[in-house]
Amino acid sequence: MKAVFGLAAAVTLTFLVLPVLAIFLQVSPATLLHELGDPVARDALVVSVRTTLIAQALIVVFGTPTAYLLATRRFRGRNVVLTFVELPLVLPPAVAGIGLLAAFGRMGLLPAGVAFTQTAVVLAVTFVAAPFYVRTAIASFEGVDPQLVAAARTLGAGPWRVFGRVALPLAAGGLGAGLALSFARGLGEFGATIMFAGSLQRVTETLPLAIYAEFARSFDVALAIGALLVAFSFILLLVVKWLRFGWTSPFRFVPSTSA
Amino acid sequence: MKFLAIFAAASLTGVFPQIDHAPRYQFAGSDQLAFQITQGAPADVFAAASPKYPEQLYAQRLCSKPAVFATNTVVLIVPRANPAGIRSVYDLRRSGIKLVIGAKGVPIGDYTRKLLANLGLSDVLQNVVYGEADAGFVYRTDVKPVGAKVFRIGVPAAGQPTVQYEMCIPTTAKHPALAAAFMREVLSKRGRTTLRDAGFGLP
Repeated sequence: MKAVFGLAAAVTLTFLVLPVLAIFLQVSPATLLHELGDPVARDALVVSVRTTLIAQALIVVFGTPTAYLLATRRFRGRNVVLTFVELPLVLPPAVAGIGLLAAFGRMGLLPAGVAFTQTAVVLAVTFVAAPFYVRTAIASFEGVDPQLVAAARTLGAGPWRVFGRVALPLAAGGLGAGLALSFARGLGEFGATIMFAGSLQRVTETLPLAIYAEFARSFDVALAIGALLVAFSFILLLVVKWLRFGWTSPFRFVPSTSA
Repeated sequence: MKFLAIFAAASLTGVFPQIDHAPRYQFAGSDQLAFQITQGAPADVFAAASPKYPEQLYAQRLCSKPAVFATNTVVLIVPRANPAGIRSVYDLRRSGIKLVIGAKGVPIGDYTRKLLANLGLSDVLQNVVYGEADAGFVYRTDVKPVGAKVFRIGVPAAGQPTVQYEMCIPTTAKHPALAAAFMREVLSKRGRTTLRDAGFGLP
């Protein structure tokens, strides 16, 4: 049995690692760095950083109170609400794209005139990335010992103080992990963005869209952007593990999930 | 600083930045670009690979009167190794050939269907696959960048559809005066030379 399982693990790891490794092995690190100086890559980096940061700010400001409420209140239909919060996690991005157009497009329910602008990128990223934060935040708030909250209340702390001085600090690790996950997902957003925001250089063309725009024209630039995103994502996932479980010895048995 | 937003057909990806490298470009299928403009996307110039979409926008009063600025031809390409041994468009009738063509609604897809109909070859559409293929229809101007990897096979003139590129200034344009200047640049002597060097025909 050991041999069979070992073989399966080897196949799995090889298959998962190979495409990532291939990005770095196709061209030299010097070429990768050089290609990142390409105007298309530089412009896309600026658009990505800007839109992702705005989206993350929105997600934290609106998502944290939402998660706290959903974690601490029990009400009829709570499961339905939670399902709606989680839905974008499993929705195909194309569905998100067409939905955003149907909601905010010129012929949409709320014709805000934001389709195919940078605001549209922010909305698309927020829509697909928010559940990663909110879901993790709900779990973190649920993990706060209710006795500590009750103790704080009996000692005279008001609800704001309980939230700010007890619940928030105790949930901080999980909130950070959720933020890192939603940041990673937002940075990689592609499908909803290209449908709802298009791919205009310096305005709506994010790093993943730039890979798509460049891969037939200049494979090396596309590879360089890919390498950058791999590095980003790797670091973010490490941060998530650290925030949730702390740095641990490689031989200690710890839950190893990020999600 | 003012930047023009130029929405242009994917087949103009190589040539437009040669004419003017300053604007922000979005290269995509003309149908998708037209859709974005109907949705209010702030495009200063719309340059399409067919008259269809600019004329539609014009009819809806969504852009200025379109002007023809280039022409193109449709060619058949095969990989250099030519695994299926294709020598002419009529070889596409053989069964088992794997052919790729543009989607319906995208100009190159519509032109290809027209070309096949003109030659009485519409039944080869049954050989269309998605993925790695033995042959495919593209614009003449698409061949140059990948010239080392493919062979070009000419198409009988009788089958050739009229491929005209038209451009116009959408009503969503933020810089219509600069957009007009860009259009003049494309139509100028230098613009025309650049287009011709890239393999385009001139109206």
